[in-house]
Amino acid sequence: MSSTELTRTDLGRALCIITGASRGFGRTVAREMSRLVKPGSALVLAARSADDLRALKVELAESEAGRAGLVVECVVADLGEVGGLESVVRASEEAFSEHMDHIILFNNAASLGDVSRYTQSFTNMAEVDSYLSLNVSSSLCLTARVLQAFPQRPGVRRTVVNISSLCALQPFRSWVLYCTGKAARDMMFKVLAEEEPDLRVLNYAPGPLDTAMQTEARFRTADPSLRKSYLDMFAQSQLLSCETSCAKLTKLLLEDTYTSGAHVDFYEL
Amino acid sequence: MQTPCGMEVDETLYGNIRMTDVIPTDGRTLGRCICIITGASKGFGRALAHQVCCWLKPGSVLLLVARSETLLQELKEELKGFAVEQQLLVNCIVADLSTQKGVNEAVRVARLESEKENDHVLLINNAASLGDISQFSSFTDLDVVNSYMSLNISSALVLTAGMLQVFPRRPGLRWTVVNLSSVFATEALPSWVLYCTAKAARKMMFSVLAVGEPNVRVLSYSPGPLDTGMQKDILRMTGVDNHPFPCKDSAVKLMKLLLDDDFASGTHIDFFSV
Repeated sequence: MSSTELTRTDLGRALCIITGASRGFGRTVAREMSRLVKPGSALVLAARSADDLRALKVELAESEAGRAGLVVECVVADLGEVGGLESVVRASEEAFSEHMDHIILFNNAASLGDVSRYTQSFTNMAEVDSYLSLNVSSSLCLTARVLQAFPQRPGVRRTVVNISSLCALQPFRSWVLYCTGKAARDMMFKVLAEEEPDLRVLNYAPGPLDTAMQTEARFRTADPSLRKSYLDMFAQSQLLSCETSCAKLTKLLLEDTYTSGAHVDFYEL
Repeated sequence: MQTPCGMEVDETLYGNIRMTDVIPTDGRTLGRCICIITGASKGFGRALAHQVCCWLKPGSVLLLVARSETLLQELKEELKGFAVEQQLLVNCIVADLSTQKGVNEAVRVARLESEKENDHVLLINNAASLGDISQFSSFTDLDVVNSYMSLNISSALVLTAGMLQVFPRRPGLRWTVVNLSSVFATEALPSWVLYCTAKAARKMMFSVLAVGEPNVRVLSYSPGPLDTGMQKDILRMTGVDNHPFPCKDSAVKLMKLLLDDDFASGTHIDFFSV
């Protein structure tokens, strides 16, 4: 888009797939997307918690977008398991309609891993494998399946977002699984961006969010100075609301000028 | 000129350093060392086994880990002369490091050596696989991707953790961990998502180890394009000739890095920058 063109004010008639949509940042993304997509759009929300998804679906149905006909499909799935991915893809294929001009995949689902232990304690391969399955492999396979299900076609934009972290770039004591997973994902999506120039790929690091994951970090981090910095952030109200961070993500998506494959941090904007 | 183990050294250029440049003049060695090399039966691992022998003091132990008993025994035979002269114990550990059982076996054998009066533990995480080189969108099978990540990421973490526990840090014990890395730990290459992802993951993983364990020297070493079976696979699968050079060149450079021992722990060093 040239500088004389206005930034888009919406994300088009979109199929929006969001993983980890039942709470935290994923839920906020779902709410934001519902406000930003045009009538005729659909959200596919994936998470493990049926109750939380149902509550979100009801909330969205009662929203302005919902009343205007926004389709919301919930998929109860564990992405770390083979069957989980397939159910998300099937729901997406069903939710898609030929009028849609934008497919957006938010790879948001993630876990912290056990941050109460140091690197030398990770002697159990099943634990590490399981962590990588959810946090690395599932985002590769889901994205691959979605790209297969929705190949490039004229008039349809495709955007893939990876919810990243400062931990993708910087090592933190007692956070070996999380840092490893985030570094892996950033590279994965950089490769995708290199391979598919027509795809818009964004590694978005949302900043320290006030979520259940942050609470876990605050209480369980083994490294004393790291734990203290999380406690201080909380005490000094320096944690970001999901809404604040999502607003920046939204801006990035609407302006659509980021370099595909780039790592963009909340604090850079 | 001769190395401590009697290997003749001349002005041969390895990459861009001369063998004579590698020889420490102050008698530095890798100490009375327990050295564990994974993926030791072929390629770079095998070349490393040959090189590292030159720098191990008498009483050292070299543990060679790989899946192929035959190839390991061949290697052990090749090293027999050195081993006898240098009073090194060379043991083969036949293990599939993509399994808990295989890692446990390697750790079990290493534990047998932990009573000895060694002053250095050197763990070289070299075992790896190329994986399928294919379009991103082809990787739809979670089991295939998980299997790849297990061997190339989980295994290195679990083995390193196991060894760290078998040889606790103590005064007088030098601890070095090497991660065999790649330029593709930092450079994204189309169709190489599995390999790039795993190498990027390992680079971070060993960086976290470095910040968490100030008494462990951690080095991620990117060896350059090597004349190995893996490189032949690359040529076959992609048609790209990376102009590989002999493993020995790169192994010599890694030895220099380990002998100089002045790298910043957690750093990532490429063959071409040594």
